[in-house]
Amino acid sequence: MAKRLIITNNIRRLRFFANEMTQLELAERAGASRQTIVALEAGKYTPSLEMAFRIADVFGVPIGEVFECRSEEENS
Amino acid sequence: MSYNSIRTIVSTVAGVILIAAYIIYALGTNSPAPENLKSWATVMLVFIGIGAAALIIIQVLFHIALAIGIAVREREHDGKTVERIISSSMVEDERDKIIGLRSSHVGYICVGTGFIAALVALASGMANAVALHVLSGAFAVGSIMEGIVSVYYYEKGVRNG
Repeated sequence: MAKRLIITNNIRRLRFFANEMTQLELAERAGASRQTIVALEAGKYTPSLEMAFRIADVFGVPIGEVFECRSEEENS
Repeated sequence: MSYNSIRTIVSTVAGVILIAAYIIYALGTNSPAPENLKSWATVMLVFIGIGAAALIIIQVLFHIALAIGIAVREREHDGKTVERIISSSMVEDERDKIIGLRSSHVGYICVGTGFIAALVALASGMANAVALHVLSGAFAVGSIMEGIVSVYYYEKGVRNG
């Protein structure tokens, strides 16, 4: 059975370095609600591939710089 | 607690109040006779109509309260920014759809279980009105469970896939 992956993100840090972009602005540009961005940053939501690519496009960085994943075993 | 959670809780509580009102009526002295299916069906339709109207009113009032709450909280921002914040709060994106999908799954299980229970009631010789109430009760419980599961996922979080 495949190992469970834990996906984290650097959205808050990227927002800060993107001229202190607000969550609202990121939400509008990524086509999501502000609550979803809040949930993403709090680690309470894992986005779809499409949304992940949209967020990466907003910051102009590869998707791997926005999202990271590791297995549950590595985390423990 | 998020706007969606509060809205769901309010809708669910309204549903519980309506169910309680129906139970009080059904157990009262003015309720139809057990074998009078037509009267029971009419009463249920009336309560469903009241429930639908109550839900619409709650949604409208909630949108108004949300807009006022955001406008007051963000009063240091200009009107256009406040409008953007309000619009963003009301967007239904993939997260809302996933949570809706998972919570409706629970609702379907409740309804399916209720349907089987209604069939069992009929097969075991109970009155037709009992089967009707078991089935409608399953819909009501399913709706409440959907709300609870929905709030759970909004607060605890959900994975995509």
